[in-house]
Amino acid sequence: MELEKRGVVAPLLVTSTFLPLVEAQAKARRVTPRVVVVPHPVGGLNEAELAERIEAAAGALLPLADEARGSA
Amino acid sequence: MSSDWDVAVVGAGVAGLTAARVAAQAGLRVVAYDRMAPGGQLVNLTALHDVPGPGEVTPSAELLGRLVAAAEAAGVTMSFAEVTRVHAGASPRLETSEGEVGAGAVVVATGLSAGRLGLPGEELLVGRGISTCAGCDGPLFRGRAVAVVGDDDWTAEEALELAEVAAAVTVLVPGRPGWSAERAARLAASGRIEVLTGATVTALRGEGVLSGVVVATSGGERELAVDGLFPYVGRRGPGALVDGVATDESGRVRTDDGVRTAVPTVFVAGDARSGAPDSVPSAEADGAAAGAAAVAALRPAAGRGLRIVDPTFGVQPAGSAAEILSGGTAEWTEVALFSNSKPNATELLRGVGERLQAHWELPEIGFASKPNASAAADKDVIDWLSQRYKMVLVAVGD
Ligand SMILES: Cc1cc2nc3c(=O)[nH]c(=O)nc-3n(C[C@H](O)[C@H](O)[C@H](O)COP(=O)(O)OP(=O)(O)OC[C@H]3O[C@@H](n4cnc5c(N)ncnc54)[C@H](O)[C@@H]3O)c2cc1C
Repeated sequence: MELEKRGVVAPLLVTSTFLPLVEAQAKARRVTPRVVVVPHPVGGLNEAELAERIEAAAGALLPLADEARGSA
Repeated sequence: MSSDWDVAVVGAGVAGLTAARVAAQAGLRVVAYDRMAPGGQLVNLTALHDVPGPGEVTPSAELLGRLVAAAEAAGVTMSFAEVTRVHAGASPRLETSEGEVGAGAVVVATGLSAGRLGLPGEELLVGRGISTCAGCDGPLFRGRAVAVVGDDDWTAEEALELAEVAAAVTVLVPGRPGWSAERAARLAASGRIEVLTGATVTALRGEGVLSGVVVATSGGERELAVDGLFPYVGRRGPGALVDGVATDESGRVRTDDGVRTAVPTVFVAGDARSGAPDSVPSAEADGAAAGAAAVAALRPAAGRGLRIVDPTFGVQPAGSAAEILSGGTAEWTEVALFSNSKPNATELLRGVGERLQAHWELPEIGFASKPNASAAADKDVIDWLSQRYKMVLVAVGD
């Protein structure tokens, strides 16, 4: 969030468990973060499970990144 | 009043958020400092047992969301800075990582440090086998053997949570168990949990990652091969953080009467208080009492509760965001990843980063990390990233 305040586009990869925390923190800092939510957990996953998470996260990130670049 | 704040709360866990809310609802200017994020221990827990009452269970994130929203609505200003010293007295002053501030009253709600055994080499193994968060790190030990050290109800709950994934859980109880009969029955029924009483860990084994512990019992010493170790002993209070207040042998702040310390402008709430029962309901009750006590201490100075409150107090003026935003001058080809070093976070980031690299045909992608998820990012790294890159993909939490 500090990066966004400094003008850097900084999408946050957040697991679902940590989403309320990130939202609360963002509200307290008065910023609107760009968030890509990944199902919890990430630690302890095997390769195939991790690949699924990467696929889902990339699916959400690419349009978000295109939009940020397009509106810059 | 000449102070920067009427009330400064140190720590935004259950106790601190509640104290801050209560003081702000009385019309006082309140800041709540936390060196991490709001929530304290709640951030590490998935389910809260015996909350709101005995036998009931509340999702941790739900309570956390409620506490933060209520504090926000009451007008509490959150500051993500570490308080390094509280100079108590008639007009307390706080040294923080972002400078010095004054307050009419201070509520100390710092909770306790993470559990530690105090053994040589322990810090090097934290995150490499040693953890104090079964909910976060338990899945790393799927099908493997782990040990848990402690004697209270929460140790028992952590052991039960670990038993859902680990192959075997040994609970090492330094003396006698202090958990309830109901938890004792659930531990016994698990089938994967062994409880050793009168057991002390005397040494850690492992080169770079934990591979076992040495356990002393009345029967002598023995090696226990484990990949994970979860210590819930040796937790310490804020100790010498506050001048002039007494602490007990575990660094928790002693009180004269409820939440009042020997200094009339300093109050303590939650786990940081000597004798606190270390539970969410008691931290909440302490927070409410400390907030009310701080209000009462400031009443004469604050004009008997009647004051004109500036609703924009603590809110950044609209122009400042735009000013800061002019900083991002790098090109769109400058993209980096920033990992919090949690298990698999870097792999996840790299995977997503590769997809973006292909999508935007980027020649390369930068990489930075912080060594420990539970520490704030180094300012130099943030400075470097913000000067060098247009976009940084950040891994947060797991
Ligand atoms: C493993 C475990 C499981 C538990 N399970 C349960 C349960 O199921 N039910 C239940 O009722 N209780 C449970 N508890 C107990 C409960 O979590 C705590 O009693 C309660 O959360 C304490 O709240 P607190 O606000 O006092 O402290 P904390 O939650 O520890 O918050 C303190 C905050 O202060 C901040 N801080 C510390 N020092 C500074 C500083 N110098 N400057 C700025 N900020 C600072 C920290 O970052 C932290 O956010 C459990 C405890 C543990 C360890």
